[in-house]
Amino acid sequence: MTEHALPPILVVDDNQDNAEIIRQYLEIRGYPITVAHNGDDALVAFEEVRPALVLLDVMMPGRDGWEVCRLMRQHPDLGKKVRIVMVTALDEWEDKREALQTGADDYVEKPFDLPSLVVTVQRNLAMLRSTS
Amino acid sequence: MSDSILVTDLDDPAIDEAIRLLESWRVERVGGAQLAEAVGTMTGARAVLTGAEAPDLLRAAAEAARRCGYPLIVECRDETGRRRAIELRAEEWYQPPASAEEIAGRIHSALSRRVPPAQSAVDRAEHVEHEHMLHDSLSGLPTLPVMLERSRQLIKERGELVVLYFNFVRYSKIEEIYGWEKLDAVLETTAAAVRDFLDDASDEPTRVMVSFTNDDDYIVFHVPAQGMKAATDAEVTEMSSRLERMVAARIESSHGEDVAALFDIYVGHAHVYYNPKVRLERLIYRGIREAANAARSVEERERARRVADLRTSLRERSVYVDYHPIVVTDTMEIFGYEALARGQMRSMRSPEVMFDVADQADLVWELSRLCRSRALEGLDGRLGKDKLLFVNVDPHDFDDPAFNEKEVSEPGRVVIEITERTAIKDYPKFRERLRAFRDAGFRFAVDDAGSGYAGLGSIANLEPDFIKLDISLINAIDTNFIKQNLVETMVRFANDHGAKVIAEGVERAEEFNTVRDLGVHLVQGFYLHRPSATAPKEDRDAVTPRKTAKT
Repeated sequence: MTEHALPPILVVDDNQDNAEIIRQYLEIRGYPITVAHNGDDALVAFEEVRPALVLLDVMMPGRDGWEVCRLMRQHPDLGKKVRIVMVTALDEWEDKREALQTGADDYVEKPFDLPSLVVTVQRNLAMLRSTS
Repeated sequence: MSDSILVTDLDDPAIDEAIRLLESWRVERVGGAQLAEAVGTMTGARAVLTGAEAPDLLRAAAEAARRCGYPLIVECRDETGRRRAIELRAEEWYQPPASAEEIAGRIHSALSRRVPPAQSAVDRAEHVEHEHMLHDSLSGLPTLPVMLERSRQLIKERGELVVLYFNFVRYSKIEEIYGWEKLDAVLETTAAAVRDFLDDASDEPTRVMVSFTNDDDYIVFHVPAQGMKAATDAEVTEMSSRLERMVAARIESSHGEDVAALFDIYVGHAHVYYNPKVRLERLIYRGIREAANAARSVEERERARRVADLRTSLRERSVYVDYHPIVVTDTMEIFGYEALARGQMRSMRSPEVMFDVADQADLVWELSRLCRSRALEGLDGRLGKDKLLFVNVDPHDFDDPAFNEKEVSEPGRVVIEITERTAIKDYPKFRERLRAFRDAGFRFAVDDAGSGYAGLGSIANLEPDFIKLDISLINAIDTNFIKQNLVETMVRFANDHGAKVIAEGVERAEEFNTVRDLGVHLVQGFYLHRPSATAPKEDRDAVTPRKTAKT
């Protein structure tokens, strides 16, 4: 009954095991999770699921996470609202500047520990509530 | 005899009923774990129907169906099931209990939607890209080829078309100063104004269409009303000036005067007459080029006029200075002022425009000298006695023999702001000049720090006393954690190097609270003060922000 209480999240990772771990961890906490394993599927799921937040792996064959991020941001009605969290290590100053260019809101480093992933998810969803 | 088989592991009798409705079909039931294998081996199978309760079985069934090119229909008991079905790109799904008619309908539509394996997602993604080609994502306006196609018939009918070219000129500095997000926002405002203009114009007997060139320019097709021979010049002029005014007013009201001053609109137009001997595209592209050239020549005339304005300003020393308070984050006390020189003539209002014009006319040193001497007048009693004065100096100014460390009476109160953006060619020589100023008591600030990709190394090289963060890092910092992370890094760096960080462009309470929490030492922005010709009365006293900041 609380199924619609939490906003939907799209998890994009070409590694199925990674994606499943994230899915299970977040699903237990009540988030409706949709998983996509490549950039093209992610763009399709993005329109169908209309997620509030996207966890986007950067290193994927085909369209990488940056390109997917850019395309999602350009979406006429979903692009402005969605929170996009990149899954990658942004160590250098220039990596972070680059991430800002694509329109990313936040990032989590890989390999992540799951509790900090949840904190990241929560703080971004909180932004969504306060700005809407 | 029938080879249309639905393979399923569900035992809902409604499925059998549905199959009867479909005629010449039959159901083959296979136990859950064997479903995937059965799909691959069963001859004559055409579709797969399965439940979503067991994710592993669903995935295996979906993969098998995909391999064989069969559509997949999923019975989804809940939201979770539905999401699984979407992820696996099932052609159809339904929620039980479902009537036989519904199930039959789903199977039918799944069959009709079926495209060759694994292509649909790519198609959809490419569709997204095609959309971008047809419509500009920022403005929502159609691109030129689309507009051409739409107007083809109309031009043939009416025989004439006026092409208006709106050359939307921005000073290149807008992105450097405010970042691409600001520019995007301004372009969006412009597009909204243009769309409103179109809505207004739709009442009129003429047809107007707009396209966006992706280079900030707009192309308007104006087709005269039925029965009217030609568009009169008066009509065209009226229309272009109306659009021009609409856009300019909208930018100013949404983004303020300072930003609006960085944009100009120049309009040119050309008539295109239908000629069956010439391909229509060629006629129109020629018209667009002609209109664009006309717009550009207006722009050139305007530039020449601006240079003349600048020469007048220099001769009459008609530059004034606004002082923008810089405040201590913790106490809200005024710490110092940044001097902002502006031209008195309307066309010279924006310092960026003024310096841009000076650059073209090779008058930068003259203008810099004038602005500097005006700014330093602030030391003579106009500002609080102990307050610092931040003065912008272009690195090239250090080559100007007239600019030297003996120029100022109280060097200890002056902070020279050097922008990170200008490339410094001769580093050793530049540092030597800095040293002379430093020895005389001047301090230094790196302006627009973090604007480039360069990171902290180039900042460390200048050994600044102050680091002014680039506005693009402050804008909406409260909602972007990457910006927060960057600013945090900068604060740590400054603390390690004995420098203080200044956040400029703080416009909202949320931004102020965020930079304060990140440990930024000093703050400057409209949230606290607007620039003004004199120091605020409360100079020396604690300053109350316009809105009370949450603590």
